[in-house]
Amino acid sequence: MRSVYVLVTVCALLAIFGPMVAPHDPTVIDIPNRLRPPGGESLLGTDALGRDILSRLLHGARWSLGLAFVVSLLGLIIGTTIGLIAAQGGRVADWIAMRATDTFLAFPELIAAVVIAGVLGASTGSLIFALTVTGWMRYARVARGIGLSVSNRGYVIQARLAGLSPLAIARWHYLPSLLPSLTVVWTGMLARAILGISTLGFLGFGVQPPMPEWGTMLLDARIHMRSTPLQMIWPGLCVVISVLAINLAGDALRDALAEQDAKT
Amino acid sequence: MIVVFAGLLLRAVVVLTGAALATFALLWHAPGDPALAIAEARYGQNVSKEVLDFIRVEAGFEDGFWTAFWAWLAPLMQGDFGQSSVNGRDVWPDLVTAMSYTFPLALVSLALGLAVSLPLALIATRRPGSWLDRGAVALASIGVAIPAFWLGLLLILLFAVQLGWLPAMGAETTTHSILPAMTLGFGVAASLTRIIRSGILEARGQPFLPAFTRRGVARRDIARDHVAPHAAVPVVTVLGLELAFLLEGLVVVEVIFARPGLGSFLVNAIFARDFPRVQAVVLLAAVIFVVVNLAIDLIYRSLDPRVSGRDA
Amino acid sequence: MLTVDNISVRRGVSTTLQEVSFSLDPGRTLAVVGESGAGKSTLINAILGLVQCSVGSVSWNGAPVSQCRPALVMQEPRAAFNPRLSLRRSVMEPVVAQNLAVGSDRLATLCRALEVQPDLLDRRPDQVSIGQAQRMGILRALIAAPPLVLFDEPLSALDAVTQKHTARLIADMQEQEGFAALIVTHDLGYAAAFADEIAVLRAGRIEEIATAQSFVEAPQTEYGRMLRDAAFALGALERVA
Repeated sequence: MRSVYVLVTVCALLAIFGPMVAPHDPTVIDIPNRLRPPGGESLLGTDALGRDILSRLLHGARWSLGLAFVVSLLGLIIGTTIGLIAAQGGRVADWIAMRATDTFLAFPELIAAVVIAGVLGASTGSLIFALTVTGWMRYARVARGIGLSVSNRGYVIQARLAGLSPLAIARWHYLPSLLPSLTVVWTGMLARAILGISTLGFLGFGVQPPMPEWGTMLLDARIHMRSTPLQMIWPGLCVVISVLAINLAGDALRDALAEQDAKT
Repeated sequence: MIVVFAGLLLRAVVVLTGAALATFALLWHAPGDPALAIAEARYGQNVSKEVLDFIRVEAGFEDGFWTAFWAWLAPLMQGDFGQSSVNGRDVWPDLVTAMSYTFPLALVSLALGLAVSLPLALIATRRPGSWLDRGAVALASIGVAIPAFWLGLLLILLFAVQLGWLPAMGAETTTHSILPAMTLGFGVAASLTRIIRSGILEARGQPFLPAFTRRGVARRDIARDHVAPHAAVPVVTVLGLELAFLLEGLVVVEVIFARPGLGSFLVNAIFARDFPRVQAVVLLAAVIFVVVNLAIDLIYRSLDPRVSGRDA
Repeated sequence: MLTVDNISVRRGVSTTLQEVSFSLDPGRTLAVVGESGAGKSTLINAILGLVQCSVGSVSWNGAPVSQCRPALVMQEPRAAFNPRLSLRRSVMEPVVAQNLAVGSDRLATLCRALEVQPDLLDRRPDQVSIGQAQRMGILRALIAAPPLVLFDEPLSALDAVTQKHTARLIADMQEQEGFAALIVTHDLGYAAAFADEIAVLRAGRIEEIATAQSFVEAPQTEYGRMLRDAAFALGALERVA
């Protein structure tokens, strides 16, 4: 499924370089030109404040995709650390870490994120905090599961006997066995983060205007549903395509890993 | 088995306690002056200092964290969810009203999703790899990538605005539930199709099955006795996750379709900074979630005797 | 010296070790023999501190054993090495971990003594033979010059010729380095030939403990006699005239 990786790379490139390709400034307000249909100067038309939709979409990639990347990476780091503490630290540490994980998992992730972001006041910072705090648990479970089996391996016992620091043991002896599975989890969480960011943006708890995040754009578009329905299509389409690409890449990765596992 | 159940129950209790603590702690540390928010909601602007102090004492903000936590938790365990800090009404009855709108919608959406995904998965796995199978997988894959809020809006655009067949807002009649149920049911159907399909394929791949065929056991009996139970395990396990997805989707759907269910209850409470209500909903969601997952865990263990006692 | 003082290891209802006591001086070799399931591995784990003793204590010169950084040579040589790292890295791990100023000449000396070709060190564990891997395991055990080395069935995974060779190398290294050696093995022939003392472990208890020579000549217990006779019958042990 090489085409999937290409698609994902395109998305990543757009997220990074999109703003440079954008024909117009996404925040410039131009009331006389508001709500223009696609064509001419604005390939996809303009929104209620006269801003070019295509440019906003391209800049929005940075928010919807870039933030998702940051959030999922933070979750990866935190979750892996906790999972490794559970695997390396003995029964008590394991129990505490796992009960903490269960407690955080007791809340449907989005609802918790809505509450956190809402209560702390809508901003990019609280968005990152909310999604990170609700997004580390899956990594922890996977890291712990694999970590426990690694803990019994001869070379790990040898490393402990030799007096290697837990950090070094984690880095050299645990991480290589963890990374394949963690990467698969990460792709899934990345997709969830994109959906989470855009949903929170749509509900008003996420990235605030005038930042052109895709979910927030949909919130704007909803108001003008009757007059310019087309506006609603583009941001959602962007979300769908990115999430789809990442999901497919994750599936391909999982299949490739399963093949590798079968060979060894 | 009793020991396992007791262990799981204990875990559930610990988790719920942690959840209650987390919920309370979050709202305790919310920025801004909660007394001010309450005062403004009740009396409007320009509230005197005496009133603010009074509210602070009344709402328990003057007490220490643990005192206030216990003051909230103790009545809660007896079913008293306190009063809304905005309009003073008891939280529980309003919560129940909200639930009466949400639960039916949730069940209908789940049923709808199941009704679509089960036959679809069965048909698809009849001939794995065929264009029908591949088409189903492709559709399901796209389906899970579609955010509920976008789908809902598109459905409104098509059926309410353009065609005018169905109402877009409110929850008065059953017709009002059609579009919301379609929105949620679609997402459920998409993810369930993938899971049921892979469950069936994996169950079919069990190594001892060809022996049955050679001995002449009917295909239907094999399917019923050996494929179905084995396939049921991952499906049951994943129902717990589906519930999470459903709860999250409900929030969005209720906001879009302006339905007065738990989702809007929560969102409105957050906007109004009505913390007792927010705490109640969050804790309720957690309880539902934990209880359902506990039930699923038990079913899972009874279905699959290979699962041992320690954290699965 | 190593002092094992009346240790018992209990796991729930079952007792894997019971009232085990012995001592071991530097430069001496103690072989612990017994059937599978007798508790030999648990004994090693208890000494190394990998398993908690419910009763009793293990100490080296009065202090907890971990302080002297004992080394372990495992039964399965390749499992003792991280498959992704070069053998050189794994072998030098104790030195790196303990921040020791060990020069490359020590590595070279040990390589020579253990007949390990230095260029083999740059390979991965799956790229060397089992015999070579086991010798590198011994190398790693000795690189930081620990005063106590435990051997868990060090020869079991090797073929007969390599077994004799490796046993000889271990004995030579002990003479050279002067460490105390505790060898767990089910091979009475090996124990008799290379150990100073033999302890017989049965169902978690020490049945008898004696010098190797006196055990082979005249075991004190019936179980010991049975083991010795079985070893004679197999040709693993040669009758002493």
